[in-house]
Amino acid sequence: MNYARMKFYCDEERCIECNGCTVACAEAHELPVGISRRKVVTLNEGIFGKEFSTSVACMHCTDAPCEQVCPVDCFYIREDGIVLHDKEKCIGCGYCLYACPFGAPQFPRDGAFGTKGVMDKCTMCAGGPEETNSAKERELYGQNRIAEGKVPICAAMCSTKALIVGDEQEVSKIYRKRVASRGKGVQGAPYGWDKAYK
Amino acid sequence: MRKFMFLFIAAILLATVAYATDSQIWGNMRLTNILEYGKENSLHLGPLFVKLQSQYFYKIFFGILIGVPFVFFLHYLIVGPKVFSHGGVKIYAFSAFKRIIHLFAVIAFVIIVPTGLMIVFGKYLGGGTIIEYARHLHGLATILFTISVIPMFLFWFKDMLPTSDDIKWMFILGGYLSKEIKEIPAGKFNAGQKMWFWVATLGGIVMIITGAFMYLQDFDYGIAKLFGISQIDLLRATAITHNVLAFVVMALFFTHIYMSLFAIKGAVHSIITGYKEEEEVKYLHSTWYKKLKKEKKI
Amino acid sequence: MANTWGYGAMTNSLGDIQNAKAIIIFGANPAVNHPVGFGHFLKAKERNNAQIIVVDPRMTKTAAKADYFAQIRPGTDIPFMYGMLHIIFKNGWEDKNFINDRVYGVEDIKKEAKKWNPKKVADVTGVSEELLMQITRVYAKSTPGTLIWAMGLTQHSIGSSNTRMAPILQLCLGNMGVEGGGCNILRGHDNVQGATDMCCLSHTLPGYYGLKDGSWKYFAKSWGVDYEWLKGRFKSKKWMNAKGFTLAKWYSGVLAGRPGEDKIDNAGTNLKALFVMGNGITSIAQQAKVKEALDNLELIVLADPFVNEAAMLTDKKDDVFILPAATQFESSGSVTATNRSAQWRYKVVEPMYESKPDHEIMFELAKRLGFYEEYTKGMLIKENKKSFKFPEDATDEIARIIKTIGLTGWTSKRLKFHTDNWHLFDEVSLRGIGPVKGEYYGLPWPVWTETHSGSPILYDINRSVKEGGMGFRNRFGLEHDGVSLLAGKNSAPKDSANPDGYPEITADNIEEVLGIKLTASEKKRIGKNWKVDTSNIIAQKCMERGIAPYGNAKARAKVWTFPDQIPMHREPIHSPREDLVKKYPTYKDKPNHYRVDTKYASVQNKENWSKEFPINLITARLVNMSGAGLETRASKYLSALTPEMFCDINPNLAANHGIRNGDMMWIHSPEGTKIKVKAHYSYSVGEDRVFIPFHFAGFFQGEDRTGNYPEGTEPYAVGESANTVTNYGYDIITQLPETKGGLCRIEKA
Repeated sequence: MNYARMKFYCDEERCIECNGCTVACAEAHELPVGISRRKVVTLNEGIFGKEFSTSVACMHCTDAPCEQVCPVDCFYIREDGIVLHDKEKCIGCGYCLYACPFGAPQFPRDGAFGTKGVMDKCTMCAGGPEETNSAKERELYGQNRIAEGKVPICAAMCSTKALIVGDEQEVSKIYRKRVASRGKGVQGAPYGWDKAYK
Repeated sequence: MRKFMFLFIAAILLATVAYATDSQIWGNMRLTNILEYGKENSLHLGPLFVKLQSQYFYKIFFGILIGVPFVFFLHYLIVGPKVFSHGGVKIYAFSAFKRIIHLFAVIAFVIIVPTGLMIVFGKYLGGGTIIEYARHLHGLATILFTISVIPMFLFWFKDMLPTSDDIKWMFILGGYLSKEIKEIPAGKFNAGQKMWFWVATLGGIVMIITGAFMYLQDFDYGIAKLFGISQIDLLRATAITHNVLAFVVMALFFTHIYMSLFAIKGAVHSIITGYKEEEEVKYLHSTWYKKLKKEKKI
Repeated sequence: MANTWGYGAMTNSLGDIQNAKAIIIFGANPAVNHPVGFGHFLKAKERNNAQIIVVDPRMTKTAAKADYFAQIRPGTDIPFMYGMLHIIFKNGWEDKNFINDRVYGVEDIKKEAKKWNPKKVADVTGVSEELLMQITRVYAKSTPGTLIWAMGLTQHSIGSSNTRMAPILQLCLGNMGVEGGGCNILRGHDNVQGATDMCCLSHTLPGYYGLKDGSWKYFAKSWGVDYEWLKGRFKSKKWMNAKGFTLAKWYSGVLAGRPGEDKIDNAGTNLKALFVMGNGITSIAQQAKVKEALDNLELIVLADPFVNEAAMLTDKKDDVFILPAATQFESSGSVTATNRSAQWRYKVVEPMYESKPDHEIMFELAKRLGFYEEYTKGMLIKENKKSFKFPEDATDEIARIIKTIGLTGWTSKRLKFHTDNWHLFDEVSLRGIGPVKGEYYGLPWPVWTETHSGSPILYDINRSVKEGGMGFRNRFGLEHDGVSLLAGKNSAPKDSANPDGYPEITADNIEEVLGIKLTASEKKRIGKNWKVDTSNIIAQKCMERGIAPYGNAKARAKVWTFPDQIPMHREPIHSPREDLVKKYPTYKDKPNHYRVDTKYASVQNKENWSKEFPINLITARLVNMSGAGLETRASKYLSALTPEMFCDINPNLAANHGIRNGDMMWIHSPEGTKIKVKAHYSYSVGEDRVFIPFHFAGFFQGEDRTGNYPEGTEPYAVGESANTVTNYGYDIITQLPETKGGLCRIEKA
């Protein structure tokens, strides 16, 4: 049985830093203000020819480093490559953040005296270990759109379709088409794929 | 108590200052961090941390956790404890202040080391809330430890400086490998105790600092800039340092417990009452004994 | 634009931009204002290797994706375009055939363009000669090229000249009426075009009919209302045909008579009451004056889903009423997109709590004021009903009456069908398949008859009129100065019974122009001209004969009724270049400009503003905020992206004033007002300008006024309003405020 392998791709030639992805994610999962599971980072702002924006979140890596270092083994990786974790097992130690090349794990300061709470990160809208679409899953992890067959909301909302998510074959196809039609510059692989998917 | 509250409030305030600045991890540097990860001429701290944490650390911790006590268990069976008479003169070694501070340190360590191990082996203990509270306790106990380590460092600093006796002591491993009772070259504190002192205080301070870095996570005190690395690399280096130093601290902590509670019968009373047995001092801290005799203190 | 060729709307469509080989953008920021639409620009870049050229005073998000970027001084677009034309004419890159057949007055343009050599342009605009040359060459040689603009071009004292200059450039290059070309003005909110078409403005009846007696009589008849009764609603006949106040300067209507205020001609009285329905009052220039006006009104009514900033800004405590209006999710109706297509918006949820949809508020008001029956009669006429269904019958009423822009085909049934089947249309050409074959998505107007396909590309003579083709409108007469204004030979739309230029169709000339004979009954029923032909006979016959009802004329580069017949450069009223003010001064003061005596030269010559206020002030949008910010600043996550009012300032400029990144700073205006904002270092602005977003409100000249909000209605993000410091300046024809060309002085707070 051939399973799809889900991947994100953000086309920096199309990303206009509209932050639609950031806000869509925050709204859909009702995140506390200050936690941005997805963030748009812009370098060289204001300098013509050099300004560059891209949208970053968890890449759901193959042999995810976060999963490797977790002392309580709260991560689990689905067949389709989506990396999720159990917030009830997580102790908020921060090791996954140190391991992650993309800075995806975040720690809301909602413990006592503003201490670090448990880790929160992009779930590719696939929820968590709780029962699918239950109220508990919704509260802890946000929407589970994958279970409903829907596209993760960040890519669904992307204004210019810079951010694409889906099976790697389909995403690579789109990537190659765009690169070919641009017809200039050498593109190895989509940004970040060399670190995420070995 | 007031000192405690003061320090506590200061820690919180300092923490809020750190949070007020822009993110040092999730800001614009996030992209450069991605590019740096595993790059040719980077420090490779990311991949290094992943490798060490996933494959080596827990094994080493387990080894020390089982190995060190086991070695001492064997020692107890084979060599056995040293016994000295408790009839002689009592020599005053530790003032009340020192004993109280040491007590704080005891409580702190007794909380810190097991909770630290609970974090390391979290997955075998089921993870979740218990381990999360273990982590919180680990941090809280650090505050207690901080209060004790600074005075302790200051009042025993001079006594713990290395002397020529220490080299001699090392060669015979303090005489603990034989049942023979003979004079051992050592001052008020022997080389073993000195080793433990420096690891516990200086190492302990490094543990406090690295622990604080991991606790505060996203702060900007210019430290990463000082080393010329990114904040995330600083955190990775911190995590590695904290774990590696933990090996040493843990091993020597077990040693200290064995030495003070089992290896010498009745030695623990000295840290409770403040008085050491004359015979014990005469043999195990011969240089100090001779000095006291010369100064007519005995 | 309407004065150039007949209709003042985006000529092509957003999807059509994917056909362009070059895209030049003046004073617009589609990456921020139309992020989804900008996808078309990027696709053009990918698929056509289209060159994107951005001409803007600051390095915007759009410029970040551009191939060429000219950082122009605010208000100098006309010299830039003349510079381009200078190079185009010199090299013979203009489309001579197109000009001969379809444009009038290019000779005068050529003369003026000759004066603007690249060196002069560089001096006035700040864009180097090389870059001007590069941009012109790329744009002129990569056709079809499309020209995009937005507020950056229109909100100037010479805005009406700017918006003629851009069409002239496109006409000279032959980029009009072709796929991938056109003048594409990007309208803002999703129904601004609709609001404009219904003329929620004070100088014309709906559908751009104007205020002459003929138009009033036509509407009276179409609404089933007595003309004399309508006339009687005005103080006297004179006021029925007189333009009213504008949104930009209504405050003069309240404050007139006070020392220093502009005089008004308002039948001897000041304005006493203000009813605001869905408008961000703080997005108008001169906020200090707006506040003063609000304080001096007798009645203020604000109908909005969120608390209008006017309530917070004014000190008036009594007779201020806030009516909760329903949002777009709680009402339905047709909305017109920037490309003239209409879509149907469906209600998703019933109005919540006590909020009412806008139409209900107006109906209730009409009932209490005693003209509800006359107000709603128009909706009953088409099917002779006893009661109406809103909004379907309102849409059908519009379709029945408005012929100037050809809304005859916009029945609610057709619009709903298109929206329900939007998956059947192509995103680039807008053509439909299956049940909507032969139609264009949303039926872009003009849709001459109830079955017409819609006109996605204006002025396209490569299509037949039945398929949406047409020439330029015959709106300005048949000839001027002895030259015919009708299009040249063989320049009529495809499959036309009349291959040359022809005038707009009237009852008198229809037989001759179309080459047909009318029956007696048709002659009796036919309307006087195509604009007031309730029988629709003219439209029907025209479709059969391939004739555009509004004529086939030349576009005109010369507008002889305007103060500047051809567009001329004039420095903004507050200009940083005193030497250029002398060479290119602004207009003379204009009396009774929408009832207000508006100053121009008297302000510009009052003093050398550039001495005390040397910095250019740029205002523009943020992608996460909308308009006056009412709604978006009340959204948690949108506010979190930009929680405070700020000013983008070049680090060099800031350092010279001792302002560090994150420091508070004052911005002073020549009007004497000031705002306190946070400085944000940015290289997107040059050292002689600063940028402030205009979405914030809540603070006024350093004073926190958020306490005025009713409990629980204060938005998350508050700050100073940019319009507190925008300068006094208004367009000579439209009275649009000159928010994009002003001066300021900065200092550390």
